[in-house]
Amino acid sequence: MWYKLFASIKKETIILLRDKIGLSILFIMPMVLVLVMTLVQDSAFKSINERGIPIVIVDNDHDTLGISIKQGLHYSKLCVVSDSIDGKPATAELAKQAVSQGKFLVGIVIPKGATEAVRKNVGQLVSSAMPSDEDSLSKTTVEITDSINIVLFIDPVTKKSFLTSITSNLHEFISIVKTKIMFQTFSEQIAELMPENTKAPKNAFAQTQIINYKEVYASNIIGELVPNAVQHNVPAWTIFAMFFIVIPLAGSIMKEKNEGSVFRLHTMPSSYLLLINGKIIVYVCVCMLQFLLMMSVGLVFLPMLGLPVLVLGNSLLGIFIVTLATSFAATGYGVMVGTIASTEQQAAIVGSLSILLLSALGGLWVPTYIMPELMRHISVLSPLNWALEGFYELFLRGSGVKGILDESLKLFIFFIITMTIASVINRVKRNI
Amino acid sequence: MKSEPIIEIENLTKTFKGADEAAVKGVSFSINKNDIFGLLGPNGAGKTTIISILCSLFPPTSGKVIIDGMTLGNDISSIKQIIGVVPQDIALYPSLTARENLHFYGSMYGLKGAELKRKIEDWLLKLGLTDAANRRVSTYSGGMKRRVNLIASILHQPKILFLDEPTVGVDVQSRNVIIEHLTELNKQGTTIIYTSHHMEEAEHFCTQVAIIDNGKIITQGTPQELISNTPNSTNLEQVFLNLTNRKLRD
Repeated sequence: MWYKLFASIKKETIILLRDKIGLSILFIMPMVLVLVMTLVQDSAFKSINERGIPIVIVDNDHDTLGISIKQGLHYSKLCVVSDSIDGKPATAELAKQAVSQGKFLVGIVIPKGATEAVRKNVGQLVSSAMPSDEDSLSKTTVEITDSINIVLFIDPVTKKSFLTSITSNLHEFISIVKTKIMFQTFSEQIAELMPENTKAPKNAFAQTQIINYKEVYASNIIGELVPNAVQHNVPAWTIFAMFFIVIPLAGSIMKEKNEGSVFRLHTMPSSYLLLINGKIIVYVCVCMLQFLLMMSVGLVFLPMLGLPVLVLGNSLLGIFIVTLATSFAATGYGVMVGTIASTEQQAAIVGSLSILLLSALGGLWVPTYIMPELMRHISVLSPLNWALEGFYELFLRGSGVKGILDESLKLFIFFIITMTIASVINRVKRNI
Repeated sequence: MKSEPIIEIENLTKTFKGADEAAVKGVSFSINKNDIFGLLGPNGAGKTTIISILCSLFPPTSGKVIIDGMTLGNDISSIKQIIGVVPQDIALYPSLTARENLHFYGSMYGLKGAELKRKIEDWLLKLGLTDAANRRVSTYSGGMKRRVNLIASILHQPKILFLDEPTVGVDVQSRNVIIEHLTELNKQGTTIIYTSHHMEEAEHFCTQVAIIDNGKIITQGTPQELISNTPNSTNLEQVFLNLTNRKLRD
């Protein structure tokens, strides 16, 4: 039996090695895919975090609010702030035109006298809070005499999330300026009421920030791991490529049926399962090899292109288990598709479309947490999601073998289920 | 001396799922050891269905088949050890060489090591394929493919060899070589069950012939018996046409 299995493995390996196009689909295309997708995603990542959102500011205020907003946005690293357009000082009209032409994603116009208006409003608020005469005491509400309108020109292509970031920043800066002015006004009012020798605290506002926050990623990986495009994309696209072996594998099963080899094998004292086992072993090895190549992209090639190096986490055994489980799941799925399909074309179409669907559902294209609730529930049914979760557990959260056992077990069970289905369908198809 | 039957078929019927009519209708016959048994009939007569059932490719709807004392259905794996099947279509891996194909199929019959290598080389030599043995089968001519197709089924020297139109689409030279070596194989003790549309070939090659039409055996005997017993017939082709009529078939 072992000799027959070895012969089957040898045959499958030779056929695979002689299929140059098949080999390129299995190895070169996925490497290119990981490389391109990571670079593309990294650019998108950088556009927000490194290069920043291009913003033009028209500061007609020339006072505290205008300066604060400009400086605040500049230091936030969220944006690249400009106050000129094509060398000319920005005006509201030019800003609107530049945004509509896509030169900037957002244009902010701070109106003239904005700071003065804030001061006036705050002054009224302070006066009402600290009345100096009886009339004022009887007033219960404060009339806001001036209001300011900061105008935002938005390029229609701007993502809602970008806009939310900018507007929340603006709110924060306005709030800071308002608080600052309020504090100053209060300080001045208090100073007026205090005896002359008592000094009101100077720069008191600057000393008031007592609550800070620090971003710490909940990961057990030793060292500083900052989630990035490499860390997210390499495992995701590796899984996608591993599952894409469905196409050559299902195609190979169909080819054997069409070329009559399966017919001959059914007349021989060897089970069809033996032939399939030979295929499974070869294609699992192919998947493992694919994984190694993809990791080499993350560890060697992407850093050469200036991207961060892939961090593999703390458990090589864990990586081996998840990779093996993913390989078996992908191979089992390929065998099932190859058994169900009636023609090579059918196998190719069903195989590729179902993998695209399962990868989209599994969170390979967009993270599952931004999916609608129903889709989030469905996504956990995708084997690609289990594989992705397994790799994220290792690469991002720094877990060990214990952390990936559930996902690996699901993938192995998926393999058993697909093989059982393939076996039943094969029997049904033969029982004509 | 009465020959011992190696295959006994009783009331064999096969109706495919969804088919209105049975492809094989209660067929009974037996094949003796060392016979070269020709199963002849027009297209759709049921020849390939009978051979497929005997090779255990699919089960019969009803009936009993005994092969070398073993009942089909109960002893499938033992039966598969003693049979060889040469399918109608070429059943080889085109991207493998002839040697690689034969090594794989030989292994599937349980042959290995030096014995397998020796048998492969012997047969490649006999059928004139040694020089081309390391070339991919996809580069072969139709005749060469047929010869490799044959070797793949006889490497294990089967007791019974089923051949479904083994010489279809090959040139006279290849056909002669194939028939010559099948005759030699038969002399060494292999019973041959063979289907063909070449009546002349069957007349000279077969020791027993059964003519089948519409899923039923019409007649059975030696080619000479059939020729003598059928009026207005001087050869097997005329016997065939007289018994199955000249109407075109699907």
